[in-house]
Amino acid sequence: MSPWIRLLIYLVGAPVLGGLLAGWDRRISARMQSRRGPPILQPFYDVLKLWHKENLVVRRSQNFYIFFFFLLVIFTGALFFAGSDLLLVIFALTLAAIFFVLGACKASSPYSFVGAQRELIQMMAYEPMILLTAIGMYMVTKSFYVHEIASHPTLLVLALPGIFLGFLYTLEIKFRKSPFDLSDSHHAHQELVRGMTTEFSGRALALIEIAHWYENVFLLGWVYLFFASSPLLGVAVSLLVFVFVILVDNVFARLKWQTALQSAWLVAAVLGFGNILVLAWLRHP
Amino acid sequence: MNGIKQSPWLIHYDASSCNGCDIEVLACLTPIYDVERLGVVNTGNPKHADIFLVTGAVNEQSQAVIRNIYHQLPEPKVVVAVGICAASGGIFRECYNISGGVDSVIPVDVYVPGCAARPEAIIDGVVKAIGVLEHKHREMKEIANSLDKILFHRAEKSDAPEILALQKIAYQSEAELYGDDSLPALHQTLEDLESDFERMPQREATVLGARGAQDSSATDLDRIIFVKAVVNGKIIGSIRGYAMDGSAYLSRLNVHPYFRGRGIGRRLLEEIEQVFPHVNRFEIKTGHRSKRNLFQLAKRGFEAFKTEPFTPIITWVYLQKDQRPAAAKKKGVK
Repeated sequence: MSPWIRLLIYLVGAPVLGGLLAGWDRRISARMQSRRGPPILQPFYDVLKLWHKENLVVRRSQNFYIFFFFLLVIFTGALFFAGSDLLLVIFALTLAAIFFVLGACKASSPYSFVGAQRELIQMMAYEPMILLTAIGMYMVTKSFYVHEIASHPTLLVLALPGIFLGFLYTLEIKFRKSPFDLSDSHHAHQELVRGMTTEFSGRALALIEIAHWYENVFLLGWVYLFFASSPLLGVAVSLLVFVFVILVDNVFARLKWQTALQSAWLVAAVLGFGNILVLAWLRHP
Repeated sequence: MNGIKQSPWLIHYDASSCNGCDIEVLACLTPIYDVERLGVVNTGNPKHADIFLVTGAVNEQSQAVIRNIYHQLPEPKVVVAVGICAASGGIFRECYNISGGVDSVIPVDVYVPGCAARPEAIIDGVVKAIGVLEHKHREMKEIANSLDKILFHRAEKSDAPEILALQKIAYQSEAELYGDDSLPALHQTLEDLESDFERMPQREATVLGARGAQDSSATDLDRIIFVKAVVNGKIIGSIRGYAMDGSAYLSRLNVHPYFRGRGIGRRLLEEIEQVFPHVNRFEIKTGHRSKRNLFQLAKRGFEAFKTEPFTPIITWVYLQKDQRPAAAKKKGVK
């Protein structure tokens, strides 16, 4: 498949798939709490409604940053699915997150400020592991290009079990799920209202939601990359990972940011770096 | 399909409730009732919410909070008063610190009775609120789509209820600005407003509300004139004024919060200025902290000439503007 077709499928399909996944997430969470839960299409209803709501702002420029966050998240996924350089993908992802943080800071509300600070801490927590993931994939496939990694004949996860587990850990942070929903929680009413998104309403909030859908699809695409030589297995594992993230979300309480940061770095050091050490030792004993 | 019906997000505030209704509100989220199946999310953030659930009667301390939260809900929004205390004050109605039900502070759309309101009743109320929400959304969309077909008319006495409702919504932002609800516009009763349509302003009076004697010989222009901005048969803005001794006293410029910043207030001012071609000057007042009003009035040529304390918090700023001769106006002199 040509990269342009993959790109087009991503641009059109990712919000649909991401929205369905989000609806599925709410449904499964409800079932885990022995509730019936909303319809699968609920996230789409939410976004449609937000699109029709009044857009209240503290400063008009805050929505400008959110628009760039939205664009850069799409750009990140587009680079990834077009088969571009994994390192460039990581930098684009970071830049997108930074724009979100800037938007939240611009709103100058104490709650979105707390959320923004915590988001920065979370970025510090997951960045090393994500970089190690890219490095690990390079060590196995000798390429940073996603399309070359994807066409590698062996299952990457066999060579990178530690990195895969570490990546799962960062996925929990990236999905903003418990125990890492520090910056933008649906449930921390007393503590941070809605964290980073507190001051966003209407279309800006809808854009944030859609950006999350794109982001989630991109992240699951990365999980697929570990199993790329066996496409069916890859899709199955990606979905399983998503269910696992939901399960963890329902089982754990929110962590303190100190614990989140320390544990993420510990995981990166032991599972991520450890895996790379073992790989290097196996190659050049 | 616009999602409005399928995705009502709530914010719940306890005004002074005994916690009975609060527990029942939260019970709606539990597995037995599970309102999330209707798409309901209990947000803690007014800026994300569509429906404002209030429990308990309103006391001195919760007034400001209720007004603040209401002000932060993006349009369209619906207020649901849950429980008898929120509806009318309940058994606390006569207490010295209670101002009554939620509707003594903000406009309420749905009342849920009960002490404590049962979860089934609350869900019924929320479902009803979804209907109101959809209605408001449709109405707003239609109005927004035909804002170019806005009409400016003299208002009649029969418009009084609609103008009063608009006035109470429009002045919420002012009350929020001062953290004080002693603005007379928020306390006007329907009878009072209706009688304004027949009232003769008295000589000494510089503010509206002075009672004048009925005089059958008076011409139409001696009465208080109401101008309304109408879109699709719905009033979204109004202003009133009367002429006396060569001056026209304008007051209560209301524009629905959702339609502000689109020049409706400016056009209302223009329209009412044309109603009084014979006066030499116009006078209007606003609160000292209402920067936006002051800015807009200054842009229309009004200049402040005196201030007068109204309450310890609010100071009236009186602004005036000289009427230019009709001939100069036609030539477009700036």
